[in-house]
Amino acid sequence: MVRAHRWSAVSRARSKEALVGLLLVAPPTLVLLFLVVIPAWQAVTFSLGIVPADNVAYNSSLNLIRSDTPTLAVFRRLFATRSFTQNLGLTFFVTFATMTLLTLVSYALALYARFNRGRLSGLVRTLYLIPMFVPAIIAGYALTIFYGDHGVFQAALNRMGLPYHSPIGAGWGIVLGQLWVSIPFAVLMLSSGLDGVAEEQVEVARDAGASFWVILWRILLPLNFIPLLIVLTFTFIGVFGSFTIPYLLGGNAPQMLGVSMQLNFSAFRQQQIAVALAVFSFLVCAVAGYLYVYATTRRQQGAA
Amino acid sequence: MKPTSWFWHYPPLRKALTIIMLAVFGAFLLLPLVSLLLWAVAERWNYPGLIPQQFGLRWWSWIFTNADIGKAARWSALTAPTVTLVSAAVCLPAAYAFARFDFPLKRVLYVSLLASNAFPKIGLYIVIAAFFFQLNLIGTFWGVVLVQLINTLVYMTWIPAASFAAVPRELEEAARDLGASPLKVFFTVTLPFAMPGIIVAVILTFLGSLDESQATLVVGAPEITTLPILMYTLVSSYPEPVGAVFSVLLALPSVVLLLLARKYLLGGYLAAGFKGG
Repeated sequence: MVRAHRWSAVSRARSKEALVGLLLVAPPTLVLLFLVVIPAWQAVTFSLGIVPADNVAYNSSLNLIRSDTPTLAVFRRLFATRSFTQNLGLTFFVTFATMTLLTLVSYALALYARFNRGRLSGLVRTLYLIPMFVPAIIAGYALTIFYGDHGVFQAALNRMGLPYHSPIGAGWGIVLGQLWVSIPFAVLMLSSGLDGVAEEQVEVARDAGASFWVILWRILLPLNFIPLLIVLTFTFIGVFGSFTIPYLLGGNAPQMLGVSMQLNFSAFRQQQIAVALAVFSFLVCAVAGYLYVYATTRRQQGAA
Repeated sequence: MKPTSWFWHYPPLRKALTIIMLAVFGAFLLLPLVSLLLWAVAERWNYPGLIPQQFGLRWWSWIFTNADIGKAARWSALTAPTVTLVSAAVCLPAAYAFARFDFPLKRVLYVSLLASNAFPKIGLYIVIAAFFFQLNLIGTFWGVVLVQLINTLVYMTWIPAASFAAVPRELEEAARDLGASPLKVFFTVTLPFAMPGIIVAVILTFLGSLDESQATLVVGAPEITTLPILMYTLVSSYPEPVGAVFSVLLALPSVVLLLLARKYLLGGYLAAGFKGG
């Protein structure tokens, strides 16, 4: 590459390369600075009561708390409201229920697709990708009319003489929707991890008399831990910060935090509350976010 | 031997159980979509009918002559290509640099792009919207383009970076030895080799932008109503067939594009992270 033989020429070429490299990566870094770092920092200070004079949205906020020094008054007032506690409870319920169900379903599918050959498993591999073709807002709508009151699902159960109480408008309805939209990513991620597990390893264990559960617990799970961690953290952040699915499939009260945030920001004109909720959600997701970044970079290094 | 494992060793039972589970899963995924498709061609579908009592395409002509929908289609047709082009211009040179150059903070900058995925999305959009008020970007086309960029950073950088890194150096050096200029080598050797990864990134970005509803709702309202944004109002204030017809139209570009690009998409790029609820 570098054809010069003298040291100074080499180091000059190196620093030129460094300069060009930094210039080329500057645009996405600036986007990140402009769209994540600065807004997040402003939000933190605003939620602590410091209102910038030049921001119309902040100054027009109803029930504004203003302070010259950082104060936790906004959060104290927020935590004291009953609706916040209920919304938070629902958000955690939906998040953990989705994570559990999604892990069970997508692990089973990934295992099936990995260790079975044939027409049926080919069909499964196409099937689980379908939600990727469907925008979340359409998926939410389809689920609403299918599982809603007097929907096709109820009509089918009715034919069989079974009672039905629609989950649409309640926590389980949101879980259903989150599960539906999250399956492709989860199965793809877990499958890509399982592809790295050698078939011989499983064969050897099976010949030695290990049961299915022992193989799963002692061989597959440890070897496939990083992809599982990515799925868990990505799902946690995704569901915790979701809006479309809970907006369409959830009820009026309690609401998930994402819906409450959006309504506070636009309809109720309580921007400070909305921003404080956003900052709160950043804090809750910080650990998951860190683990997500860690796991994704580990996986990248493993792949490279 | 565990009590649960007896059926596991009895193939017919195991097979039957597997098929039942797969059928349940298939029904879970497909039946809501099937009922949506039926609604799109229904004129009358009263409970407890399992299929519509009367079929017809009356609502299709209603959709096609609705002025709001025409306007939203124009916004979508303008936004998605713009976001894709801007994202490519911002990210592709960086992808090349990450793959080929050595510079300070390289690892940190590469990993920090993931920060856009590590934040709960709606919180991030609201915080961005509050910042955009200050810059008068709320309700503007460029505000929407900018906020949508955030979702494109990871795949527009990471996927092409992996393809650039996979281009065989010997080929480039051979072309150089034959007297080709660095630019010529880039355009005749490097770029064609990296193209499949770039195509995947472009398709994912385009579809992501076309289907984006949350960021656009928070930042673009009330002026910029793309098709997914219109869906929020359609589902709440119109009869089922309207939402259904509209959904079919809205999902059509995704399905067509994904089918056309299937051979690229199956190359293992998809797990790079497609979308979040």
